[in-house]
Amino acid sequence: MIKNFSKIYKNTLFRLSLLGALLFVLSLMVVAVSVYYVTVTAELNRIDKLVETEHSEIQKIYDESGFQAVEREVTLRTASSEGLYGLVNKRVAIGNLFFQEVTKEDGELPLLTGLQADEFNKVAFLYSNPLSEENDFKDRRARALVGPIRTGNGVAAILIVGRDVEGTMRVGLKVRNAIFMSSCIALILGLISSWFLSKRFTRRVDAFNKLADDVRSGNLNRRAPRNYSHDEMDLLAEHLNGMLDHIERLMQSMKYAGDSVAHDLKTPLTRLRTRLESAGIERHNTQDAEIFFSAAEDANELLKTFDNILRISRLKTGERRELLIDIDPKTLLDDLTDLYEPSCESAGLEFHALTTEGHIIRADRGLLSQAVSNLIENAIKYTPKGGKVRLELLKNSTGSVEISVCDNGLGIPREDRERVKARFVRLDKSRTHPGNGLGLSLVDAVANFHNADFIISSIDDHNVKRPGLKAAIIFPKNKIK
Amino acid sequence: MRILVIEDDKVAAEYVRKGLMEAGHVIDIANDGDLGLEMARASDYDVLVIDRMLPKMNGLDILKDLRASKDSTPVLILSALGEVDHRVEGLRAGGDDYLAKPYSFTELLARIEAIGRRSDPSGGVANLKVGELEMNLLSRTVKREGEKILLQPREFRLLECLMRNSGRVVTRTMLLEKVWDYHFDPQTNVIDVHISRLRSKIDKDFSVPLLHTIRGAGYCLQE
Repeated sequence: MIKNFSKIYKNTLFRLSLLGALLFVLSLMVVAVSVYYVTVTAELNRIDKLVETEHSEIQKIYDESGFQAVEREVTLRTASSEGLYGLVNKRVAIGNLFFQEVTKEDGELPLLTGLQADEFNKVAFLYSNPLSEENDFKDRRARALVGPIRTGNGVAAILIVGRDVEGTMRVGLKVRNAIFMSSCIALILGLISSWFLSKRFTRRVDAFNKLADDVRSGNLNRRAPRNYSHDEMDLLAEHLNGMLDHIERLMQSMKYAGDSVAHDLKTPLTRLRTRLESAGIERHNTQDAEIFFSAAEDANELLKTFDNILRISRLKTGERRELLIDIDPKTLLDDLTDLYEPSCESAGLEFHALTTEGHIIRADRGLLSQAVSNLIENAIKYTPKGGKVRLELLKNSTGSVEISVCDNGLGIPREDRERVKARFVRLDKSRTHPGNGLGLSLVDAVANFHNADFIISSIDDHNVKRPGLKAAIIFPKNKIK
Repeated sequence: MRILVIEDDKVAAEYVRKGLMEAGHVIDIANDGDLGLEMARASDYDVLVIDRMLPKMNGLDILKDLRASKDSTPVLILSALGEVDHRVEGLRAGGDDYLAKPYSFTELLARIEAIGRRSDPSGGVANLKVGELEMNLLSRTVKREGEKILLQPREFRLLECLMRNSGRVVTRTMLLEKVWDYHFDPQTNVIDVHISRLRSKIDKDFSVPLLHTIRGAGYCLQE
């Protein structure tokens, strides 16, 4: 689960849409805070202003008409408005707050603590109003201004002017809850939509990754899937496909150019060889004849190279694949053993053939013989005297039939094992041996022609000087009838 | 031998003519299929060399036509199409041998002489003899100067091929085809190793060598 999440978290689109969702929640909160301000804070401020005004009005009445007028005014206001009032000194205590149970919320209410407050003091408190028509008359929230009614040089009384703010506070609570809920919902919806978007996006990106892998492994005819929506992914696919078309055309024309050069050079080369040979024959057994014959032999090598190039190209087209027949490779390998055992012995190599019968594969005897013969010749070429060469035929546990040639010679470095399958690739240490760099590419072409795999590995990686080589042609199970 | 070469490439045909004349044969050349068939019917040749792709009439059609009229003159087919199925097609149509282009002249000469000899009635005998070397094809034994020589089955076939063509050059490619049935050229001297083994069995203890290497061509078994 965690691993899954970290995988999805790495997804660019997921992160982008998650960021979008967070920004959305943030702006939602800004909106909500301003709504809260408009509905609650502004209302509380209005009430504070109101009680201040009222307080100074009553102070003014005192200044103009004296304390008795104040007493009358407070009694009048208590009776006629929704306000909460209290007027208290050593002599009187009037107002509706004295009939009610007042408890402390966040400040001292001087009414209850000895009437000592001598400056303006706003307090919030809880009170019970048994006269309220609402059911929840207990513990209602209220705000009040507690301040003195000043005489010229002293305090005539403490005046409390307040308002019930329970309704406003409840609206505030509702707004806060609404903010919290909608933020949560927005966040969850954001997560879900990011997940869906990134899944969809990942699917399409995966298709591109698979395409790149396929093309890299040589399938130039693969193309990116399109949905023709003309969105940016579809456009990317269109451009990629255009690029691949172009690359494929270039590769094709390069291959055709190579093939036609090989083809066109065959005729003049054949004539050259024939001329050299007939010149050699005319001179019978002289030294000149020797020179002509060896020149003819060189021309012959060139012709063989061209023949192999053309053969590889033909094999790659997959023509004539219908000519494959069911054969038991044991007979084929026994014939090759018979042909090559003496060569191995004369090169000072031990040759072993481990073949069992009864593994039928669909193959062309000639082509497969040539491929295996190339592998055996390579083993003979690159295994120092005293080494071993082994030809093996076996059925793997998966049911595939494997024909392999192993030796304990110089081997091929891991990083070159794919490269040597290309045409004309020769590794540095093989340059001293005769050859044209087509041997293994022919084997590869023959294996592909048979829908088989050609795999090069080493025998013993720990032996640095002579890691050995295993070259295997593996016929997959489903090709066996 | 009298040889008819049906080949539309005039330059190639000219070189073949020159080479074969040099080797002591009599050559006629036809440059298209119609003319070739006419000439093959009109006179009696020892060997026909027919290019597979010809103007006017296809080489295989000429061959089928000849065989249909009971003409059994040995035929060597030349072709730019060298794959095994093309070869099989050519041999099925009645050809005696098939040579893919580009071929070397020595290869062509050796093959022409081999099929020319094969039509010889002596081909079906049970005993082959070259000098003091004798081969009995029924008991599969080989003797030289009366002394028995033990050969592996493949060595026996190698020697048989050389003895059937005694006095003529047999190329490495021919040996690979006739003895192992392989139609590709190995990069190494694999045939030479087999020949030297065979030589050590039939020539080593005797004063006169029978198995000769012919530079630029192949091998030849003769006294």
